[in-house]
Amino acid sequence: MKTKYMNPYLAGVLLGLVLLMAFFFSGRGLGASGAVKSVMVASVDVLAPEHTVNSPFYSKYIGEEKSPLKAWLVFEMIGVLVGGFLSGALSGRLKWKVEHFPGITANRRLIFAGMGGILFGFGSQLGRGCTSGSALTGMASLSVAGFVSMMAIFGTAFALAYFLRKNWI
Amino acid sequence: MIEEIITSGRMNPEIDPVLHVWGWEIPFYLFLGGLSAGILIFSAYFTLRNRQDELPIAVKWMPIAVPFLIGIGLISLLLDLSHVFYAWQLFTNIRWESPMSWGAWTLLIITPLSIAWVAIWLEDIFPNWNWKFDEVKAVIKWLKEYRRTLAQLLILLSIILGMYTGILLSAFNARPFWNTSILGPLFLTSGLSASAALVSYFSKTEVEKRLFTRIDIILIGIELFMIIHLFMGHLAGTQVHIQAAEMFLGGTFTVSFWVFVVGLGLILPVILEILELKHKFIPAIVPVVLIVAGNLMLRFIVVNAGQASRWLY
Repeated sequence: MKTKYMNPYLAGVLLGLVLLMAFFFSGRGLGASGAVKSVMVASVDVLAPEHTVNSPFYSKYIGEEKSPLKAWLVFEMIGVLVGGFLSGALSGRLKWKVEHFPGITANRRLIFAGMGGILFGFGSQLGRGCTSGSALTGMASLSVAGFVSMMAIFGTAFALAYFLRKNWI
Repeated sequence: MIEEIITSGRMNPEIDPVLHVWGWEIPFYLFLGGLSAGILIFSAYFTLRNRQDELPIAVKWMPIAVPFLIGIGLISLLLDLSHVFYAWQLFTNIRWESPMSWGAWTLLIITPLSIAWVAIWLEDIFPNWNWKFDEVKAVIKWLKEYRRTLAQLLILLSIILGMYTGILLSAFNARPFWNTSILGPLFLTSGLSASAALVSYFSKTEVEKRLFTRIDIILIGIELFMIIHLFMGHLAGTQVHIQAAEMFLGGTFTVSFWVFVVGLGLILPVILEILELKHKFIPAIVPVVLIVAGNLMLRFIVVNAGQASRWLY
């Protein structure tokens, strides 16, 4: 069967080259959770502007003449969405569906993915970055924290996989 | 606090704040005017080429929207006026050197003509349509005899309408960013491109869809070419024009223009349309929404940037 996805090893090498190009063109590495954070800070600032000013976490990103959305990562994420869409179109994968292990329902997949996402959101803020921002970019610049993040993220995943394995095997 | 040393005297929004007056109404109207012009041009052109049965959406269906689009556009124009009840005075004279006068008269003629244009196709698209009154039937019959003349008139007037939305701005010498003659053709092309995208979205047949997707790709290419020339022209101009262009080349409007108008509103949809022609599956709504949103944003950015650009410092 012909797979609709790229060979993961080739994709990994390409991702490394993307990271190199990001350093070359923008002077910044890749990241993902930072963009989500920017969007969230901006949304909270619209809904409850007083709270953002008083909270020590939010107030760091809000200021006069300073928008949390005016950040490299936000535009990088727009690019990721566009690129993902184009790559889906090129390989004929643009279909509205939830991909999941046949043994579970689509809703279960969405709930678990959502829970995982929320946990990862907290984790990335405590650990100062996610897989791309801290581990990938960090290791590319030979930062010790990058290697620690990578081991922590994937180590925890391996350690806890046993308990959740019914969701995919 | 923004501190600014003003040495110019008057004609400066910091002193005469009334100079900075155009809100959403004008760009929104420019967008609707361009779109109407685009729809009418395609409809009339393909009627002259006798392809009305092959391209029913472009020729017969889309023009139905035009009287409404023009109507909404005119309402937003009136909302912008400080003295709505003096608007009729535009029609007390004709001034050849005033784009406002050109626009007012063109709109006065094109609005009833576009309604007549819709009327002559209604029996074609709704077979049970009945005009009820003999007088109306006689008028429609008469209009149908002059269909080709009407089409030629509509093409001429629509080109004027589409162009004038840009010329209206470029006649404004006091605003350097607008003071370039390429705005007229640029707005005409972008209006045509938005309407081509809408036709290809609504069309039911493969022939029509592919034809208008191809037309749209060419139009977007022309638009990109004109945008580049817009900036080349400004950069080769006087210091105020260079400053006006710098608002887009590192200044306030850089991101909104290059990322959202050029990137997401022109380049991405053109890639998607090319993929579509190569039989890749693309949800049809995506390129259309991107193009129309980019079109609208282009008007807003050009109108706002023009008001921010100035002669005197």
